[in-house]
Amino acid sequence: MKREDTLGSLEHIVLLAVLRLGADAYGMTVRREIETATRRDISIGAVYATLVRLESKGFVRSQAGAPTAERGGRAKRYFHTTAAGQSALRTTHEAIVKLSGGLKGLRYT
Amino acid sequence: MRDRILRVANWLLARIVPEPEREPLLGDLTEELELRSRASSASAALKWYLRQFCASAPPLLWVRLTRIAWVSTTAVALLAYIAVGVVELAVNWLTSSASASAPYNPLGMLITFPMVVLIVHFATRLRRNAGIVVGTFMLVGVTAMTLWGTESVPLWYRIAYFFAGPAAAFIGSVLRWSRPGREAR
Repeated sequence: MKREDTLGSLEHIVLLAVLRLGADAYGMTVRREIETATRRDISIGAVYATLVRLESKGFVRSQAGAPTAERGGRAKRYFHTTAAGQSALRTTHEAIVKLSGGLKGLRYT
Repeated sequence: MRDRILRVANWLLARIVPEPEREPLLGDLTEELELRSRASSASAALKWYLRQFCASAPPLLWVRLTRIAWVSTTAVALLAYIAVGVVELAVNWLTSSASASAPYNPLGMLITFPMVVLIVHFATRLRRNAGIVVGTFMLVGVTAMTLWGTESVPLWYRIAYFFAGPAAAFIGSVLRWSRPGREAR
């Protein structure tokens, strides 16, 4: 397993959020999805910094949307996972499952 | 008052956010601020916005810094150059204490040369052009020492270092570039 194939914890969370949101994944929705799912207060700056890193690794791609009035005339930037990103998610998930398997007192529902 | 605070925070954030992310990020913040203003009070939304502003600045500054490729290349090269200096000092000290001769001897240079190759090799793994910068540092360093140095360094040592230092940096770079696999940035 190459080092570039595994994800850091925030990269993992952000990539999962992008995958869950599908066509509606942009900065604000990704941030809110993470906040709702993890009850973790995360800044939009941290989300973008992670998305930029994921994009440089080829795990996500982005495209500009149309500007809207409620955003002060600013365009959205939509993100979607690539095949490499989904493969990295699987690799990371398998590693977590292997490492946590058989541990007493740790149960997943 | 609220509008003025928002204008200043937006202006500051626009200076920090890297250009490609500027418009979408500021738009995201504006959109969520509006949603929160409608869902709760305007002051609570403003507090949330200011918290976001403070927490977002460090990671965005980091993104901006890492995009300036020459800054990180120079930083890696500088660290490698310092490592070369430390190795050179240690080798000179060891060889002079072992042979009780002058600190500048060919044996020290022979030992230092492969270590410089190794250091530059690792630096080039981090930043592709770090080896070239280390070689340039060495040339400038030896030239400055020759022109303005007060220490009595033998001429052969200076001439040898003028060629051997950059040559070692060049070999270290070539070793990295010729390796298959993921390219350094």
